Amino acid sequence: MSEELDKWIRRYEREKSARKQAEQIAEEKTREIYYINEELSKLNEHLEEMVELRTADLEKARDEAIEASKVKSQFLANMSHELRTPLNAIIGYSEMLKEDAEELEDSYFAEDLQKIHTAGKHLLSIINDILDLSKIEAGKMELYYEKVELSNVLNDIRFTVEPLAAKNNNELIIESDAGIIETDLTKLRQILLNLLGNANKFTENGTVKLTVRKVEHDGVPGHQFQVEDTGIGMTEAQMDRLFEAFTQADSSTTRKFGGTGLGLAISYRFSHMMGGLISVSSEYGQGSVFTLWIPDENVNKIEELVLDELSTEQLTAAADSMESNGKRILIIDDDPTMHSLMRRYLSHHNWQPIFAANGFDGIERAREYKPDVITLDVLMPGMDGWKVMQVLKEDPELKHIPVIILSMTDNRNLGFTLGASEYLMKPVDRKSLLGVLQKYIPEDELGESMIMVVEDDLPTAQMMTKLLKKDGYGVSHATNGQEALDRLDEVNPRLILLDLMMPTMDGFEFVAHIKKLSKWENVPIVVLTAKTMTEQDIEQLNGRVHRIMQKGFYDKDELLKDLDRLLKRHETAIKSS
Amino acid sequence: MKGMVFSTFIEMVEEKFSIDTVDQIIEEANLQSGGAYTTIGTYDHGEIIELVGRLSQHTGIPGGELIKAFGEYLFGVLVGGHPQFLKGVEDAFQFLLQVDRYIHVEVRKLYPDAQLPKFTYEQPNPSTLIMNYSSERPFADLAEGMIVGCIRHFGHDITVTREDQGEAPGLASRFTMTKKVNVDE
Repeated sequence: MSEELDKWIRRYEREKSARKQAEQIAEEKTREIYYINEELSKLNEHLEEMVELRTADLEKARDEAIEASKVKSQFLANMSHELRTPLNAIIGYSEMLKEDAEELEDSYFAEDLQKIHTAGKHLLSIINDILDLSKIEAGKMELYYEKVELSNVLNDIRFTVEPLAAKNNNELIIESDAGIIETDLTKLRQILLNLLGNANKFTENGTVKLTVRKVEHDGVPGHQFQVEDTGIGMTEAQMDRLFEAFTQADSSTTRKFGGTGLGLAISYRFSHMMGGLISVSSEYGQGSVFTLWIPDENVNKIEELVLDELSTEQLTAAADSMESNGKRILIIDDDPTMHSLMRRYLSHHNWQPIFAANGFDGIERAREYKPDVITLDVLMPGMDGWKVMQVLKEDPELKHIPVIILSMTDNRNLGFTLGASEYLMKPVDRKSLLGVLQKYIPEDELGESMIMVVEDDLPTAQMMTKLLKKDGYGVSHATNGQEALDRLDEVNPRLILLDLMMPTMDGFEFVAHIKKLSKWENVPIVVLTAKTMTEQDIEQLNGRVHRIMQKGFYDKDELLKDLDRLLKRHETAIKSS
Repeated sequence: MKGMVFSTFIEMVEEKFSIDTVDQIIEEANLQSGGAYTTIGTYDHGEIIELVGRLSQHTGIPGGELIKAFGEYLFGVLVGGHPQFLKGVEDAFQFLLQVDRYIHVEVRKLYPDAQLPKFTYEQPNPSTLIMNYSSERPFADLAEGMIVGCIRHFGHDITVTREDQGEAPGLASRFTMTKKVNVDE
């Protein structure tokens, strides 16, 4: 019996010993796992450290790259200034000399001068292209959205492109059912001029056709601009690289047709920036079709109050709150879109619009506001335009107010018989409307207006002086902002023409100083600069500067017209105060 | 050698012979471990040879036969405890083919220090499989028993012939398994 028990005890001892072994092994394994974990977490920490170091390296590299890019942009901006300033003098002087030569009837010199002028403008456009592209690539190109009537844009474009078409004996056709579009007008114009310019360049004795249609793209309303030519066309291979910078169909194209090959690259990038598309199809020897589509509205904008949605009352209220030194214009029209259109047309001019949506209101408002000019629609419900006209002309207090008929129907004789001063057919374009309105601003009784030209570059200053004197202005020249400030009282300028980049005191500082001088608060300032303007620059000048013109981007007549308008506004302001 | 082999051997002796037999052979065999085995431990392979020798003396069955029988038994226990190795396996050849490249790989994950035998394969035709066994320890008999256990598990009619190779017995053997082809089919 005890032997049996001993056997079981031995068995029990063996089992116990086995269990203890197992426990010991388990302990060892647990410890092992712990140390392995330790090692892993150390490794992990090390990795994190490495990542941190690497990240710091990358951040440094990124900062350096950003800094380098800033330096590059700054260099480009300065460069643009340095290049445009002398070029501007060349272009301006050659134009003036050419005019002088023509006046002296020296056609030999006039022709040569015209060549210098053309070459200068061409060089400027190439410089502008390169700068545009650099700006786009640096992400510095900004969009300035505005609402525009496409028919006006197209009229403008026709005017510019027609000479190009004539040169190659092409027929230029523009077909459009265009409406209003909110876009960056300058860039849209640039794209269209580029496409039409190319079409005319590569087509001889053919047809260049621009078709503008309202086309939705992915449910987004927009406009499609199709430029079709009957020119030399392109092969598939040529089309592939068309929108890349510095690429033309092939090098022989460059030799034969000239150009930098940047136009399409810029157009392509512009259209993308505006949320649009540009595409091409072509048959070699048969012609090419370029199709541009852009959305009707700023795709990037946040909800904005749309003018069209404002009621007539709101528009009038808004007009009332505007500076009231302008001429009053009463617009009698039942079409609310006409109201917002007129408001837009007049917004940058010294006209204060008052709106009436029907004949009765029109007469009432005329009695209340005594406007300087009335525009009158003919076809209106209730009381039509002819009736309104009769009432106005029978009222001794109102009969002297000039009435401009704006009508869909051509009934000039009836209009003039009833006493209309002007008769314009709808759709009315901005230029002809403003041209007509201009007639009803009385001429200034003031004599010579003094303009102060603040400019460090002597050739530019002399050119401006000559240009302005020729147009009957008095001119005083200051070479920098400080000199201009010192001489304000002595010169008593009616307008200041200001360069931005100048030694001693630059244009920005000058503006900051003159802002504080109440005596000069009404004197208009026009900035004329070769500097590439950033949004920040514009902001800095905002509120005080009336107009910013880029050297090389305006023409002489445009500048003079602008100055004239600003001066008139200034005189009116003085009189009314 | 892994403890799982020892504890399974003890279990088999208990089951096939008796608890007394286990006690006797352990007592006689003056073992370093004292015969206390745990599956997760590692023990000198000489101990199992010693135990088999003692068992052979008690039962009169040759040691080789005992080890082969143990191999068959061990196969059943291993497969029963790790059914995942049978998943998707339809016949003995398929199973045997994956011993070296799958099962032994999995064993090493659990026991990185395990010293496993090496198998290479030849398959001259679909009904013949040749396995070349080589090990640092003389357990060709154990391998044979396990091969037989596998064939029994799948219920095939397969003959196994064994040629020992090399000078020391049990370190290297060539097993040829031949499926009996049914002529009627």
